[in-house]
Amino acid sequence: MTQAKSFPRGGVYPPDTSALSRLEPLTNAAVPPRAIISMRQHAGPPAECIVRPGDGVREGMMIGRAQGPRSAHVHSSIPGRVVEIMEETVAGGERCQAVAIEMGGEFDRSGRAGEEREWQALSRFALLGKIQSAGVVDLGGTFQPAHLALASPPGGAVGVLIANGVESDPSLSCMSALLREKAREIVTGLRIARKLLAPSRVVLVVGEADGHLVPGFERAVDEAGEEIEITVVSSKYPQGDAEQLAATLLGGRRAGQGTRRSVSATVGHAEDRHVVVLAVGTLLAVHEAVALDKPLIERVVTVSGSIVRHPRNLKARIGTRIEELFDECGGLSAPAGAIVLGGLMMGRAVDSPNASLTKTVSGVIALSAKEARVPRERPCIGCGRCIDACPWGLVPTRLYKLAAHGRCDAALAEGLAACSECGCCAFACPSRIPLADGLGRMKGACGAAGKIAEATA
Amino acid sequence: MSGTGASVVPARPAPHVRGAVSAPELIWSAALCLLPASAWGILVFGTPAAFVLLASIGSALVCEALTALLRREFTLLDGSAFLTGLMVGCLLPPGAPIHVAAVASGFAIVVVKQTFGGLGRNWMNPALAGVVFARLSWSEAFAVPVSTRWSGPGLAPLDALAAALPGPGSGGRGALETLAAAGYPVSAADGRVVGWLNARLAPLGVALPPGAFDLLAGIRPGGIGEIAVLLLIAGGVFLAARRVIRWQLPAVHLATFALLAWVFGGLGAGRGFFAGDAVFHLLAGSLLLVSFFMATDPVTSPLTPAGTIAYGIGLGAATFLLRFYGSMPDGAPLAVILMNCTVPLIDRYAKPVRLAAPRGGAR
Repeated sequence: MTQAKSFPRGGVYPPDTSALSRLEPLTNAAVPPRAIISMRQHAGPPAECIVRPGDGVREGMMIGRAQGPRSAHVHSSIPGRVVEIMEETVAGGERCQAVAIEMGGEFDRSGRAGEEREWQALSRFALLGKIQSAGVVDLGGTFQPAHLALASPPGGAVGVLIANGVESDPSLSCMSALLREKAREIVTGLRIARKLLAPSRVVLVVGEADGHLVPGFERAVDEAGEEIEITVVSSKYPQGDAEQLAATLLGGRRAGQGTRRSVSATVGHAEDRHVVVLAVGTLLAVHEAVALDKPLIERVVTVSGSIVRHPRNLKARIGTRIEELFDECGGLSAPAGAIVLGGLMMGRAVDSPNASLTKTVSGVIALSAKEARVPRERPCIGCGRCIDACPWGLVPTRLYKLAAHGRCDAALAEGLAACSECGCCAFACPSRIPLADGLGRMKGACGAAGKIAEATA
Repeated sequence: MSGTGASVVPARPAPHVRGAVSAPELIWSAALCLLPASAWGILVFGTPAAFVLLASIGSALVCEALTALLRREFTLLDGSAFLTGLMVGCLLPPGAPIHVAAVASGFAIVVVKQTFGGLGRNWMNPALAGVVFARLSWSEAFAVPVSTRWSGPGLAPLDALAAALPGPGSGGRGALETLAAAGYPVSAADGRVVGWLNARLAPLGVALPPGAFDLLAGIRPGGIGEIAVLLLIAGGVFLAARRVIRWQLPAVHLATFALLAWVFGGLGAGRGFFAGDAVFHLLAGSLLLVSFFMATDPVTSPLTPAGTIAYGIGLGAATFLLRFYGSMPDGAPLAVILMNCTVPLIDRYAKPVRLAAPRGGAR
């Protein structure tokens, strides 16, 4: 077998702990008796809460209305009654509303065989409307509303549509579960995306560890009478990053060559045409929105970690408390030192298992007290490992020093805006300097000052 | 609830998993790779060499502990002070007085490293600066003739290197012949091995000069840690293979130096171009020690592979010029100090190729 393709430069090999959960079947998590649903589960501004305490809600009813083009609708994941509108703190310290719903009444959707609706005859406008009103966001990492990526890009046809089935982090295996158990639905999602974008090529990409799932997927493609290329790529991190994936398949471009329109998940150009990357989870959500009229009220999430008794992939309702997800997996065998939402490389640590599941959470990982110990930071010795590891070709140690001095312009001139906070630099740093975190904060500060928009205009 | 615990977790930045290798491991592994060559030095030169090493390492540790204490830190376990002390001792001749060794290390730690803010902040390799400081301050300590366990006293190490340089008086001879004519001692083993080899090589019209075996086996006057060339090469290759150092640096440094020494090294002896004794000059003096262990100090060398290659070329040229035309023999330590000054400039221009264009707005 030949060496699987990978992105042009950098990358690291974090310990692959996905095997803990990879082969476990996809399980439906219990419906939570009380769901806490955040109004901010996407890239843009929070949705506007449109329910009040005491209101009765049905499963899948809209409870938050998108505010502005980069925001997405939010729906109730359970039927019942609104008991409280809470203020909560989301990533970055921003305050935002969340709706607490006590379960009650009847389920309209669960337990019923999904009758697939005819969608082939629908217009582009109708399809995009269904996707938008279902609150589907790009689950591949940008969390922009999915209808933006699926609307045909301004001023050009789509060259390549890439279905991203590569795990975003070596501690997760939700892509694997989706590919194995939702192949038919993903293919339908791809057909809808193909109809909307009319790309000249459609490629499904899977990681090396999921190479054995390719034949099963090919069958699903054949049954649907589709033509889809399937490519296996390396397990180097961050292979699942949309832009690195595009660079893997189509060749990287050097900074400063040509321009790129930053329309949600749209990345890069192949022969001057747009490349759209959609995660397979997004395609599943697109399928459900279009063929089942089902809003995005549940998602597949990897629950894992050395102290989780039975790590597995769950299909869980949005708003389920993290602790309930652990209980679903046999609970924890030791007190958690930290709980990480997302993968270990980019995930956000939360301070309590009371946090609840949002559309943006791909994994919930419990770290033992020992694993959670923050390593002692030492001075930079100038070894250059962060530079060797950076897939974007940046000089993280230099950017970190510029960040420490608040030099926005200099940092942007050295490519700060290209940083995806993938964490390769901090992972590789022998002095354990939190480089990625520092660069992320700097990006936030420069973005708030309007400097990034200026630099990328 | 099932033992999740209501633990209060401090804000912790991603990534939540870190690479295996840590900075202290890198530094200690470099020290470990230098130990065999130092041990060989003690074997060849005897107890005076051991005392020099003890003084230089001890002084480095004490100075580091005291200066770090001023900043309320304890940094001895990161290994950098030990490594600096070991390097200073390796560069000193075995006959150096104890106080010279102690002051060289003290200067390295206190003046060169700590006044700039400690580990990672100095712009000049501390060990080399300390040794050059000592050489300028106590030049007579470096001019004592040295004898090895197996060969009698001859010239002081640095005088020997100066004597081996091609000059008008060398009469077109190679470096080792010139040395032999100047009364440089060879061991009995060298006589036997070279004699035996020359008897076999005679039909081919090739003859090895006296001292060839001593040079390779590490039986010669010189700095304590610089003579065991095979152990130095083994240590350097190990460090490069484990990616503790960038292999490009010693490779480009030594190749550039050897090329220049071969092409131009014979000019002074009137032998014309392409007649320099590159092999002798690669193995003689402190070049291998300096190239594998001091030039590769990450703090004072460029960040990127491209920068490292540019640095290596400059280093090779500087070493050649300083050794063949400088007033101070050897050249390698001074060349590194000289090139250390160019590192910020190299880092400014030797940047990696950036991928893709900037992302828009917030993610």
